[in-house]
Amino acid sequence: MSVISISHLSRYYQVHQKEPGMIGSLKSLFVRKYENVKAVDDISFEINEGELVGFIGPNGAGKTTTLKCLSGLLYPTKGEISVLGFDPYQRNPKLLRQIALVMGQKNQLWWDLPAVDTFILNKEIYGISDEKYNTVLRDLSSLLEVKEILKVPVKKLSLGQRMKLELMASIIHSPKVLFLDEPTIGLDVLMQKKLREFIKEYNIRFKATIILTSHYMQDVEELCKRVIVINFGKIIFDGLLSSLVEKYAPYKKIKVLFRKYADPKKIDKLGTIDSFVFPELTLNVPNKKVNSIASVILRNFEVEDLTIEEQQVEDVIAQVYTREGK
Amino acid sequence: MKKYYIIARNTWDEAFTYRASFVMWRVRNTIQLLTIYFLWLVVLPPGKNILGYSQSFMLTYILGTSLMDSIVLSSRTYIIGEEINSGNLMNFLLKPVNYFLYWFSKDIGDKAMNICFSIFELTLIFIILKPPIFIQTNFFYLLFFIFSIISSLFLYFFINFLLGLIGFWSPEVWAPRFIFITLLGFFAGSLFPLDILPSFIFSILKFLPFTYLLYFPLKIYLGQLSFPEIFSGLIMANFWVFITYFTVKYFWQRGLRSYTAYGR
Repeated sequence: MSVISISHLSRYYQVHQKEPGMIGSLKSLFVRKYENVKAVDDISFEINEGELVGFIGPNGAGKTTTLKCLSGLLYPTKGEISVLGFDPYQRNPKLLRQIALVMGQKNQLWWDLPAVDTFILNKEIYGISDEKYNTVLRDLSSLLEVKEILKVPVKKLSLGQRMKLELMASIIHSPKVLFLDEPTIGLDVLMQKKLREFIKEYNIRFKATIILTSHYMQDVEELCKRVIVINFGKIIFDGLLSSLVEKYAPYKKIKVLFRKYADPKKIDKLGTIDSFVFPELTLNVPNKKVNSIASVILRNFEVEDLTIEEQQVEDVIAQVYTREGK
Repeated sequence: MKKYYIIARNTWDEAFTYRASFVMWRVRNTIQLLTIYFLWLVVLPPGKNILGYSQSFMLTYILGTSLMDSIVLSSRTYIIGEEINSGNLMNFLLKPVNYFLYWFSKDIGDKAMNICFSIFELTLIFIILKPPIFIQTNFFYLLFFIFSIISSLFLYFFINFLLGLIGFWSPEVWAPRFIFITLLGFFAGSLFPLDILPSFIFSILKFLPFTYLLYFPLKIYLGQLSFPEIFSGLIMANFWVFITYFTVKYFWQRGLRSYTAYGR
């Protein structure tokens, strides 16, 4: 059953351009050039219950806009959206009680009050029973290690601490559908790892449907089987992460450390040379030929060491961005 | 409904975090009040009348505006414009919470705090200065006084909400608000009772909403209005409540459509 379905969604923004400097400012007082920016341009996809999908793309690709449309914040310029059978823009309380949008930089905590005051307010807003609230609060605060800071006024906390509490405030109602926009931004490495584990467990335990955007490829690699890649407001890939890698990274790298001098002419014949500074050689080799070429090298040269490297997902994604950008 | 109670309580708690600034603000209020109070005390010696106001009526009016300030003219809704512009509005749109009721609850919390302190200050003034205050004892006047306060409370809330909604279309939410505050200072009657103005100006003012925020309720309290005047005034006040309510609703819907939730 598809929990989220988007068909032909477009969202345009009107922005006005200002030329730099005083004259530009004066000009813009009288004449403003407006331009339609297509933040999201005719995208469609479906997501099933319990899926954890990575939604990735470079800065300004339209990720956040899509998430905002999905959570009912933005009125779509065109197209249809359905989340759990509701049109999110109608902001039906029944839907709102089941979804959450978590953004890396969002403040909902009352600045002058301890976080727990905001939690209690959210408990009432979402109509959570005392029992359930206490369980969730206990689980979340031990998992995120925030027990000691729950009663400290928010303004006294560090950025990372606040981030964790913001996350808690956003999911205290145990939503079935979760939109995570850069959830790990600003967290230290250890906390990032913990948060990833938490997301993974949350996904499995509650059968929650999750869309995740992140610029940390590790987040995506560890969490998401399926990825949707968006650039310039259009979807350029929707499928398994592994097939994305296959599609965009048909090469592997063979690294060789020679024991004795090797003739460059002979090496040329092997494949595309990425770098060769004796005694180190790096070759780009098509996936299918990796084995045969490796054995050719081992037979014909005196080799100290030979390794075969997969391309980093990060590099693959970077390639996807640049290639589709052109 | 409990959620709105907690919003009001949190607002109350929040006001207490900046104790010094809160106290300073109350001190400023008191000084302002005393300035106008002494001015009228000098202008109007006991036994004299100015334009139908004896000293006791005038001073009651002036002290009354202070209490009305905290009941009617206290609102936090000026933050709405900033919330729209900063993207904070998103937090509310994501939740099953009514944004109007949210702000109304916040205002209730805010007003409760202001009323408490205002009563405290007025009691002090009362004890120290022993002003010749007029005490209304007629039950009907008091009843209509309360009715009119309730209308003016809603009226002020909606007008302020409307000014906040400008944030959907422009980041300049303060300029219109300053104009409004200036108009309010004059036309609502917080400096003097409006009926000492030339009668044709006053008859125009009767059709504007400002009159019903301070002047009208206080005049009822003083028992200086006839029952037909009270009724027509209440109708006018509620007419404005409805007008502003529907305008707010209309612009809220329109605003959300063009909302871009930028920033954050």
